[in-house]
Amino acid sequence: MSELALIIEDDEDLASIFAEALRGVGFEVEIIADGQAAQERLQNGIAPFLILLDMHLPHISGADLLTNIIKKEDRFSKTIVIITTADARMGEAYNEEVDFVMIKPISFVQLRDLSSRLKPKS
Amino acid sequence: MNSLNRFLTISTTDPDDTRRRRILNILVVSITALSLLAIVISLVSVYSKAMVWENVALIVIGSLITILGMLLVYSINAFFSGRIAAIIFLVFLTIVFAFSDTPQQVSGGRSLFGFAIPIIMASILLVPWSSFVFSSISGIIVSVIAFSINSVPNSPAIIGFFVIALVSWLSSRSLEQALRELRTINANLDQVVVERTKALAESLERERIEAGRSQAILNSIADGVVVFDTSWNAILANPALTGMLDLPLELIVDKNFRDLIEHPKLSPRSRNLLRAMMEYDTQPPSFRIEWDKKTLSISAAQVYDYTKDRFTNIGTVTVFRDFTREAEVEKLKSTFVAIVSHELRTPLNAVLGYAEMFKEAVYGPMNDKQVNMAERIMKNTQRLLGLINDLLDQAQMEAGKLTIQMAPVRPAELLENLHSILDQSAHDKNLKLTSEIDDSLPEVLNGDGARLHQILLNLVSNSIKFTEHGTVHVRLFSPYRNRWGIEVSDTGAGIPESEIPYIFDTFRQVEGTTTRVHGGFGLGLSIVKQLVHLMDGDINVKSQVDVGSLFTITLPLVIPEENIEKWRIG
Repeated sequence: MSELALIIEDDEDLASIFAEALRGVGFEVEIIADGQAAQERLQNGIAPFLILLDMHLPHISGADLLTNIIKKEDRFSKTIVIITTADARMGEAYNEEVDFVMIKPISFVQLRDLSSRLKPKS
Repeated sequence: MNSLNRFLTISTTDPDDTRRRRILNILVVSITALSLLAIVISLVSVYSKAMVWENVALIVIGSLITILGMLLVYSINAFFSGRIAAIIFLVFLTIVFAFSDTPQQVSGGRSLFGFAIPIIMASILLVPWSSFVFSSISGIIVSVIAFSINSVPNSPAIIGFFVIALVSWLSSRSLEQALRELRTINANLDQVVVERTKALAESLERERIEAGRSQAILNSIADGVVVFDTSWNAILANPALTGMLDLPLELIVDKNFRDLIEHPKLSPRSRNLLRAMMEYDTQPPSFRIEWDKKTLSISAAQVYDYTKDRFTNIGTVTVFRDFTREAEVEKLKSTFVAIVSHELRTPLNAVLGYAEMFKEAVYGPMNDKQVNMAERIMKNTQRLLGLINDLLDQAQMEAGKLTIQMAPVRPAELLENLHSILDQSAHDKNLKLTSEIDDSLPEVLNGDGARLHQILLNLVSNSIKFTEHGTVHVRLFSPYRNRWGIEVSDTGAGIPESEIPYIFDTFRQVEGTTTRVHGGFGLGLSIVKQLVHLMDGDINVKSQVDVGSLFTITLPLVIPEENIEKWRIG
């Protein structure tokens, strides 16, 4: 069974590019485009292998999701968290808190290569 | 008492005359009163049978004559001449004394002393030397009476008259002297008072004109001005302020600022700022407050007065400027910057991603031409993203919003990142991109990693852009203990000497026309220079046309505290 990668990103095109990169290396991908929906999904008992989290989201920001749920609940302790932001400063601020920070523009190849390295060899 | 005073005083232009006439009146009134008393006593004693009429008749008649004489003297004194009245009075007095006793007593006995009275009075009622006249008259009268009774004139008494006259003359003269001096002093004093009053009036007038001018200047200033004393009472304010705050002047002037800032139109944040302004004695910087729907910029300055060789704080002058429009524009600008930053970059990121997917043949095989096209799309998108970043940086720097954030940085990491991004571009142009780190540089130093990266990226990509063959070399070094530097050299086109002063200007490229050849806004070097200055550094360029350019940046070298020991040992 393939690992679940959760893409939380409000831009449809970017989400689909990220999804393609992750699917390409064998992840099962789920896309959530809204902060509120992401919060509900995350509280639903799932424990994805990887979360690709955009810091700027409608309704509930990625930063809030990170501090209030992902960093709080033990369920996500083994989850690899990658945050995406266009703000280099913000990215720097979260450097210590998450596994990877990707500054937009994010390259398809870069994300594919990174996730390929992260995915456990089956 | 007042009416008595009026009765006794005769006003004249000569103060001495007035004084003498008043004294004469006092004497006249006293003698009249004594005469009346004598008449009353005589009549009472006759009535009570203590005396017989024959014995008192002379006293009563004499007293009546005296009263009549006194009335005459008073009238002359009051309506004609003080001097004549005084002479008549004194002569009358002398005659009265001459007949007041037996000739024996008058010429040589107990009644002699009576003559002393007119002699003394003469010096007071007339001019001082008139005592001698009356002592002579008295002497003659005494002698005549003595001769009339066949007696020798009493020479010691006559000499005594002259001695009394001498004493009276001296004392009266010094009294008049003292009075004259007093009058002179008074007159001088009056003059001084007049002059001082005039000077005061003039200076008040000057001050009024001055104040009027200051007020006119104050009134014509578009900024709101209010002046406070040291306890923050508003001393004065101008109409611009009342317009700005939409409050009448009465609610501002003569009121304490502490009361004004409780006004509901003021936002709580602004209230705290104004409280802070009042609390700090040192000159507060300018700041902004929200008043109703307005944004006001406030700058305050302490007012000092230089007196007694030192400066004394006498209050604060506060200038209010309507900043509403500027604040709106600023807000619009930062909103614009934020929108551009997000809304432009996101779709460009998508374009870049899709182009990459083409290139990587995610949806099936691509031929070389298709791959090449995808690469071109990617390259152009990246250029566009770079331009947007430059524009945003420029906008942020203009707004003063770009700040430098220091954190530990590894120079080696800076170079690694640089290579990972630009190796490909250099390779594409058949250029060598090389780099080195001098041993003099510590492994870790304090700096703004993102901005240092940006500086390196801008300088090196600029060098690659203008170099057709050869090498672009980057060197990181430390010229001396507390500085470190970045050197970027190339073997490119070089910069004409005449253009060197302008290469760091915004929107400028060498020769003005190269923009079309090389692309870009010409913002890169300008941003580099501004960033270097924000980091308290310097940037220099040496260049020779067709040989190459050398950019040198020096920055303050600060080693993070946790690395200091290591650096010293290392």
